[in-house]
Amino acid sequence: MLNDFELFMPTDFNEACALKANGAKPVAGGTDVYVNMHGGKKEADQVVDIKNLAELKGTSYTAGQGLVLGALTSHRQIEEWDVIKKNYYAMFQGCSQVGSVQIRYRATLGGNIMNGAPSADSIGPMLVHDAVCVVKGPNGERKIPLDKFYTGFKKFDIQPDELLARIEIPDTPANAGSAYYKYMRRGAMDLALMGVSAYVELDENDVMSHVRIALTTAGPTPMRSYSAEAVLEGQKYSDEIIIAAAEAVASEGKPRSSWRSSAEFRVRLLHDVTIMVLHEAVKRAKAEDKAQPIKQVLYKGQQGLEERPKVQG
Amino acid sequence: MKDIVVNFTLNGRQCKKLVPANKTLLRFLREDMYINSVKEGCNEGECGACTVLLDGHPVNSCLVLAAELEGKTVLTVEGLTDDDRLHPIQEAFIEAGAVQCGYCTPGMIMSAVACLNLYGHPTREQIRKEMEGNICRCTGYTRIADAILLSVEKMDAIVAEQGADVAFRGIDKNFVEKWNASYEVK
Repeated sequence: MLNDFELFMPTDFNEACALKANGAKPVAGGTDVYVNMHGGKKEADQVVDIKNLAELKGTSYTAGQGLVLGALTSHRQIEEWDVIKKNYYAMFQGCSQVGSVQIRYRATLGGNIMNGAPSADSIGPMLVHDAVCVVKGPNGERKIPLDKFYTGFKKFDIQPDELLARIEIPDTPANAGSAYYKYMRRGAMDLALMGVSAYVELDENDVMSHVRIALTTAGPTPMRSYSAEAVLEGQKYSDEIIIAAAEAVASEGKPRSSWRSSAEFRVRLLHDVTIMVLHEAVKRAKAEDKAQPIKQVLYKGQQGLEERPKVQG
Repeated sequence: MKDIVVNFTLNGRQCKKLVPANKTLLRFLREDMYINSVKEGCNEGECGACTVLLDGHPVNSCLVLAAELEGKTVLTVEGLTDDDRLHPIQEAFIEAGAVQCGYCTPGMIMSAVACLNLYGHPTREQIRKEMEGNICRCTGYTRIADAILLSVEKMDAIVAEQGADVAFRGIDKNFVEKWNASYEVK
């Protein structure tokens, strides 16, 4: 049994804001909050279920303008949408690797942001796609770029009476490509030991622009690696420049040691994963069909799921 | 603590119940509705033994509050069985030897139903990806994937025999169509 709490299920947005300002814990999918409660953590005396708020719903794409994702958009909706695979491949890669199918049906994008975990899989891809958070309160809306939204570990630029309403992501041009790699020890139900996302736009001379790189589990929050972006911006694509960027990433990322892995291993991963992800993003920028998966091989001999020996049954 | 009245459909039956706010769907199904196929494994969304279909989607019932059920439809293994015969997926699980200790099986079968809603004829890789949220500690994964492939054959055979109108419990032919309608593309 979960610990005792009072449950509110408002359909009025301002009522939900007032409850949150009063100290109630907002819950959407419950895949973090209820897990913590099962673990014995007392989250709050009051819980406000925000799933019935119309202001947080809606999943739309407008060509030329981009995505408008209500905060209640589930990871599964992102994963199973051909628009995402075509234009925002890193988001497909991030969202399809969260937890399990059951979790992804419940877990929301807004919840992934507001839980504030440094290992959040959907945040890195959203950072490189230049997402903007729209927070809404009784006094109206504010738009904050996602990379400015985090102010510290589990801290956000949000007032007690405001809720994250939606996420807006600009459309991608035809010469853009993005990629995300999540290093984990098993194929599902694992947190990212390290994750790197990248976005590049490539002109006809292979010159990279609008380069954005984001790191997962490399600091107290998901973060952009501005120094590595500066290394690549306006440069011609080559192995050397990618390695220089990876070195910049490895010196900018400040991962900590935990029982999952040591900080040293994570720094090494940052370097190697960045090289692979940047190459993949460039390959996708050049590709005709951007929805096609590109094989991710981090180390020699790495096997994908499809290559494991099959048992005939 | 305030109790909440919920109206919902469980395995095709309309129900009205009073539930405490902090009761999970898992405990509610087992203790109040006597649905004992739903198993508690990890109780934190890792193992999938408590998987049920909520409005056709697989969810971990340990992470859903019973108080959220208002207007929703819940399907468990009990709702798959017709009066006189098992569901093709259940038959396939038995024939393929996909059941060992049996603790994960109800969750596996519900995830299999969800998988077959999304892909009418899944490949082994698709099955492995769709079943990633269900852990079998007897590690009988190969036989479980075999069973799902066998169930597709069985259902195809029934369709060939009785025509395309035949309905299987839990399988929604319009699932993909309904899913795509949730997006707005301009």
